[in-house]
Amino acid sequence: MPDSHEPIIRFDHASFGFPGVIALKDICLSINAGEFVGVIGPNGSGKTTLCKAVLGLMAPVEGHLHIFDCACDALRCHHRAKIGYLPQKGVVDRNFPVTVLETVMMGRYGALGLFKRPGLKDQEIAIESLTHVGMESHKDTALGHLSGGQQQRVFIARALAQQPKVLLLDEPTTGLDITAQHNVIELVEHLHDELGLTVLLITHDINMIRSRVDRLVLLKTRLFAAGAPADVLKPDILSEVYGKDLVITEKDFLIVEDYHHHH
Amino acid sequence: MFELFTYDFMQRSLLAAAMVGGLCSVIGVFVVLRGLAFVGAGTSHAAFAGVALGYLMGWPPLGLAILFGLATVWITGWVEEKGRMKLDVSIGILYTTTMALAILFIGLMKGYNAEVYGYLFGSVLSVTNEELRIIGGLSILVLGLILLFSKELYFIAFDQEMAEASGIPARKIFFLLLTLVALTVVVSLKTVGAILVFAMILIPASTAYQLTSSLTTLTFYSVIIGITTSVAGVLISATWDVPSGPAIVLLATTVFFVSVLFSPKRMKSPTRAHVH
Repeated sequence: MPDSHEPIIRFDHASFGFPGVIALKDICLSINAGEFVGVIGPNGSGKTTLCKAVLGLMAPVEGHLHIFDCACDALRCHHRAKIGYLPQKGVVDRNFPVTVLETVMMGRYGALGLFKRPGLKDQEIAIESLTHVGMESHKDTALGHLSGGQQQRVFIARALAQQPKVLLLDEPTTGLDITAQHNVIELVEHLHDELGLTVLLITHDINMIRSRVDRLVLLKTRLFAAGAPADVLKPDILSEVYGKDLVITEKDFLIVEDYHHHH
Repeated sequence: MFELFTYDFMQRSLLAAAMVGGLCSVIGVFVVLRGLAFVGAGTSHAAFAGVALGYLMGWPPLGLAILFGLATVWITGWVEEKGRMKLDVSIGILYTTTMALAILFIGLMKGYNAEVYGYLFGSVLSVTNEELRIIGGLSILVLGLILLFSKELYFIAFDQEMAEASGIPARKIFFLLLTLVALTVVVSLKTVGAILVFAMILIPASTAYQLTSSLTTLTFYSVIIGITTSVAGVLISATWDVPSGPAIVLLATTVFFVSVLFSPKRMKSPTRAHVH
């Protein structure tokens, strides 16, 4: 197990965006090895920008971002291969003519480098990844023939095939039915425990993850709050961030705004 | 019919058709999957403008075709990357601009030049030994590069952002793909012509798309369909004395519609709960 006090992702007064449009401002945040961190915030709060930054698709316009102790201000630092990524649903064409195993094998391509062909070893890793998500019996099935929840599992397996240290998931439950949502989150929790992965989970669904994460990060362009779920999920903090879109019931926080978002 | 094979010109055309059919169908897989169909059309017209300029000025037509083709795809790729304009709009503008240039160059020529029209409509039966060598050389180059970078090309066709995130130089691979499309178009100009080459790139891959849900099988089917229809098209052309380009393309189109009708994907369309 990794040392849980060792920061592996560290934002040091980092800002991201384009001239005139700052999506994330002056972020100071450390993610430690082995942590399970949930990232929440209203629409346009910079959650996806945070994701792109960690993936190396965006460089900080101010400040620094250190990943695995490397000042990754230059894009596409080689350490990024250690970050397994599950993109938001809808980014890729789910009817693309590709089998489950072919999809997961793509997770090996970045690590292999140019000119090298995937071999038996890579196939073994891909199948092992499919076993971790319980999809090994579907390896020859067409991706488009799977349900939304199953496809999400396959994409998680693709991320695992990278043999990552960090698992970065962007809205993994969006568009899934309630059972599939629970299954996916349980799978992520299981992978965190079993493989000792550091998990960074971006979501709208506070209630789904609040009891499972070690820490919550609340964004609204700036880093609004970060800490144990009980310290972050306080009515006064949430009302300030979400405003009138938040309905607090006895047990849950209901973010009304998000129902308009995805469809 | 078998005496056809004894003629030198026939052997040359069959070889040219097989190479062009194979090449177009392989690059077509990536063009279809990455959604670059219109780029193929634009490039072929740009390459034709290059040919026309070559004949007008007495410069090597294929060299200029490569230059025009590459300039078009690179400008297109650059525009898409900068996100200044939608890809189909920028290629639409380049498409018509280069066609206007081609018509201008032809208009400036003195008299009628049948050879130029050969590049527009294709005339595989008149392929010379020298052209065959150029086709062969460029085919080997393009196929070699596709083989070398096949895993990256598949990945960016599927999900370019994810490919980039996992450390693949996705942008460079995308420009490589555009370059290969331009080279393929130029290689095919003489055989099927600027107007029809686009069909040779799209049809075999789209036909294969109907038949399988595996990337590897898709590529394999596409090549088989591409080579078979090209060679059969040339034979039809020589036997019944019809133009070769349309013979190849119409045969391929027929195979495409048959594959749509009998697509196993359509027949056992999975019953899946639609979740919102």
